Amino acid sequence: MTDNPDRKPASLLRQDARTRARNAAERRFRWYGIGAIAISMIALVVLLATILTDGAGAFRQTYLNIPVTLDAAVLDPKGNRDPAEMAKVLTLTYGKVLDKAVGDAVAREAIQVEGLTEKDIKGLVSREASAQVRNRVLAEPELVGQTVAFDVLTGGRIDGYFKGRVTMESAERDSNTSPRQLQLAQALADRGMIVTRFNWNFLRLADASDQRPEAAGVGAAIVGSFYMMLVVLVLAVPIGIAASIYLEEFAPKNRCTDIIEVNISNLAAVPSIVFGILGLAAFINFAGLPQSAPIVGGLVLTLMTLPRIIIPTRAALKAVPPSIRDAALGVGASKMQSVFHHVLPLATPGILTGMILGLAQALGETAPLLLIGMVAFIRDIPSGLPSGLFDPASALPVQVYNWTQRSDPAFIERASGAIIVLLVFLLCMNVLAIWLRRKFERRW
Amino acid sequence: MPLSWAILATFLLAAAGYIVGRSRAFASAGPDARQLHSRPTYHGASVALTALLPPLAVLAAGSMLRLAGVLTVGAMPVIGILALVAAIAGLGIGVTRIGQGYQARNAVERMVLGLLMLCSLIAIVTTLGIILSLVFETGRFFQLYDWKTFFFGTEWTPRFQGNSQLGIVPLLWGTLYVSAIALLVAVPIGLFAAVYMSEYASRRVRGVVKPAIEVLAGIPTIVYGLFALITVGPLLRDYFAQPLGLGNSGTSVLTAGLVMGIMLIPFVSSLSDDIINAVPQSLRDGALGLGSTPSETVRQVVLPAALPGIVGAVLLAASRAIGETMIVVLGAGAAAQMSLNPLEAMTTITVKIVSQLTGDSDFNSPETLVAFALGLTLFVITLALNVVALIIVRKYREQYE
Amino acid sequence: MYDTNRRVENAVTPDDIKIQARKVQVYYGDKHALKDVDVDILDKTVTAFIGPSGCGKSTFLRCINRMNDTIPIARVEGRILLDNEDIYDRRVDPVQLRAKVGMVFQKPNPFPKSIYDNVAYGPRIHGLARNRAELDGIVEGALRGAALWNEVKDRLGEPGTGLSGGQQQRLCIARAVATSPEVLLMDEPCSALDPIATAQVEELIEELRSRFSVVIVTHSMQQAARVSQKTAFFHLGNLVEYGDTDDIFTRPKDSRTEAYISGRIG
Repeated sequence: MTDNPDRKPASLLRQDARTRARNAAERRFRWYGIGAIAISMIALVVLLATILTDGAGAFRQTYLNIPVTLDAAVLDPKGNRDPAEMAKVLTLTYGKVLDKAVGDAVAREAIQVEGLTEKDIKGLVSREASAQVRNRVLAEPELVGQTVAFDVLTGGRIDGYFKGRVTMESAERDSNTSPRQLQLAQALADRGMIVTRFNWNFLRLADASDQRPEAAGVGAAIVGSFYMMLVVLVLAVPIGIAASIYLEEFAPKNRCTDIIEVNISNLAAVPSIVFGILGLAAFINFAGLPQSAPIVGGLVLTLMTLPRIIIPTRAALKAVPPSIRDAALGVGASKMQSVFHHVLPLATPGILTGMILGLAQALGETAPLLLIGMVAFIRDIPSGLPSGLFDPASALPVQVYNWTQRSDPAFIERASGAIIVLLVFLLCMNVLAIWLRRKFERRW
Repeated sequence: MPLSWAILATFLLAAAGYIVGRSRAFASAGPDARQLHSRPTYHGASVALTALLPPLAVLAAGSMLRLAGVLTVGAMPVIGILALVAAIAGLGIGVTRIGQGYQARNAVERMVLGLLMLCSLIAIVTTLGIILSLVFETGRFFQLYDWKTFFFGTEWTPRFQGNSQLGIVPLLWGTLYVSAIALLVAVPIGLFAAVYMSEYASRRVRGVVKPAIEVLAGIPTIVYGLFALITVGPLLRDYFAQPLGLGNSGTSVLTAGLVMGIMLIPFVSSLSDDIINAVPQSLRDGALGLGSTPSETVRQVVLPAALPGIVGAVLLAASRAIGETMIVVLGAGAAAQMSLNPLEAMTTITVKIVSQLTGDSDFNSPETLVAFALGLTLFVITLALNVVALIIVRKYREQYE
Repeated sequence: MYDTNRRVENAVTPDDIKIQARKVQVYYGDKHALKDVDVDILDKTVTAFIGPSGCGKSTFLRCINRMNDTIPIARVEGRILLDNEDIYDRRVDPVQLRAKVGMVFQKPNPFPKSIYDNVAYGPRIHGLARNRAELDGIVEGALRGAALWNEVKDRLGEPGTGLSGGQQQRLCIARAVATSPEVLLMDEPCSALDPIATAQVEELIEELRSRFSVVIVTHSMQQAARVSQKTAFFHLGNLVEYGDTDDIFTRPKDSRTEAYISGRIG
């Protein structure tokens, strides 16, 4: 009765036109899916590849190796090698000593570059170089009066030239360098006087002013980030676990707990910048804590991370089967004992994983830190704990942002380098989390 | 630092209390420790806690009063002494309570339960703190600046000498424009990726692709921001905007939108993946058993069944996009304007919050305080989206449970 | 125990062979789930597959419309001929096959759509109706065929998930009938239903037999006796015995069949 008279019992071995069209649609649909995944994968690869290629340069640095005559009459006028006396000699003076050393070296090598000016020769070395020479001399006063071989930082443009960032063409249009200077640098490199080495200082030093990208490092930012993670670890983890235990194991099911639960899931989705506003209003303006301090950053990140720790922790507690609780209660343990002696240890791997991932998220967070003054230019590495918590500090992601705001393109290399450092930390944390999950994964 | 000394002394007293309590418990039990109601360690812990909690409460209250301006710095040593007195009193009470019949375990558990409860309240306190700080400062802003001009003004030109135009409309436009582009990128890609992974991909493909997409989710937004700034922005400028004569800005709505879309792909796909997997297999079998192809099954049965959940996921993604900061700060630009051209630089609410609150800010000028009004607007919009999304998703899950 | 009138009514009408299975093997990964199944299923007949849980009866049922293709680890060997065409031939599209061999599942699984759209789903995807009126006709016919029309004719726009369990299962039968299949497979269609709904569905099966071949998997021997003319007994992946239902239940040849119907195994 519902049979369609037009429809003959067709052979299964031949596809009718409609089935062919439907199969074509099926294939198209499948390709959309593959396309979507391919786009995501390509985006991931391009993203990582650009950051890695841009940032790799930050880990190499060119140095000019020259003998510097440390004239005692200039650097230690009193002649008694007293560090306090010598500290009165300004960096500027060392700059002149260094300029002379560079000039002499170029003259000695008899390099012929047409139209080479004194500015070109002086500009070979970084403005930071004189301070580095001075620091070394103050640390080792006995060097004064001798001629010592120094590896001094080259200028940002020279560094860029050897990394391929600066070319003869771009130098033509650049007021900070010139093709002549690059030719000179090339000649020095041919003679083995300019060398490129792994840049440990990038990981050790603090930020440098916007005129000297070659001297900027992420050392202070790493310390700042580390201090903040410490605060988050000490505050967010115990509080988060305690809150999860209460909500999952003890809280009565009533309106009040309901509100707390909805509140936590909403708090996890509040934009991070709102936590920055909270930190500014509550911790800096109201409580009067210092700006740019890791303690404030840590507190803000703690509040932000709490819900992100509570949610996986509760899931881990929930995954422990009720039979374990019943077994403990059945032998006369109190509710509290059953939770702390049995449930919590069994949930530990899940809790640890959630905790590490929460910390990783906090480590990469930028926006709230901008508002509590961490964008400030930080020249010094914060002191040791606990007073270092109140020193002005930067953080890795904020340092990246800071460097993107500077005009010299050399800072883009530094920013990408800082991101590589950040990603390495995140990678380690995630690998640890995955390892924990794999190692202790338990199926009930 | 008298307070840190007080804290240290309190902890020392508590430690001493633990040892004393434990040994007294043993002593009161006589030769047989089974005579005690609770294990001796509980007696120790109960003494330690009674010695620890009152002074900590005193210190916390003192600090709060100090922050609120009721007490001066000079009063802090007094607080420290009060705390010590409380500690000694607590210790004394704790020690005298010890005896065979004392239910130390119950006492300790009550105190621990109280602590746990206190911790779970911190989430509420945080929310209250956010609301209070936003509302309070926004109130001050509206005393200095007309609220109608803020909400309906189409011009954003803050000036430090005063007489600024602070209309939110152009910022809202930029925010919504960037978010819309981001969702246009993320929703189809994320959804198709999720469908492919849950309906077609072999286990091996899943095992490779799923973690890779999760990596995309674990990358901090500052990295996406830098990517927008140094790669995507110049690319769009050199190959689209300039040849087409649509502008020559390295930052643009499209730059920020595309990159934010990439950032949201894993978010959309993992939420959709969960939701699609919640659709019972029996529905798929039903459709396949009637002779529909897998794609027909997905489009006509699985996706309609999952629709509420997917709508919820899209709303959550939208809320993320609206609240995202670093990508737009680095990718979208700072020019507050309302234009349809996606290759022009525009700005968003979050960008302006950052620019008004960084640098030297005077917390009595409307130019600074406007950031709090912007923050409150942002908070309300995202909260509304989240609440609606969570309700939808929860309803959806209940349907299949 | 068995109603004699009913048995007369159920007398097998000799008819064409609809499905021929030869040496069918099914593997789930390394597990050999079904061994050497040979069976001839007749047209316009109700064939029941019985046996203890895990005996392979559902597995074999799912082979007949290649639903096992949707399980990645399942592998089928041997030949199953539908009207003398091997359904596992490489040229066969399972989509076309399933249009001919419909299936009803253990748990009612109406789509989260209206009653009308549930029934119209199959005709739509297979393009069976040229216009709305024709589709309306198909839907009505299918719902009448599933004895559901009178209960739902006034609320065709309401969601199918809002019906009672028995109605839902009849809706699923209507949905399968609407594509006018030649064979209808039913995988324990009454296991989730109460006795009254079960009786309705059983009555329906009896009617459906006039139009096509029905294969039903059931764990209830009474049900098999009530509705089927042919019965196959499966045990541990083997087809132990196949024959007229009356013979299986009254004169089993194999001792295992005898043990099962008398309740000693299963």
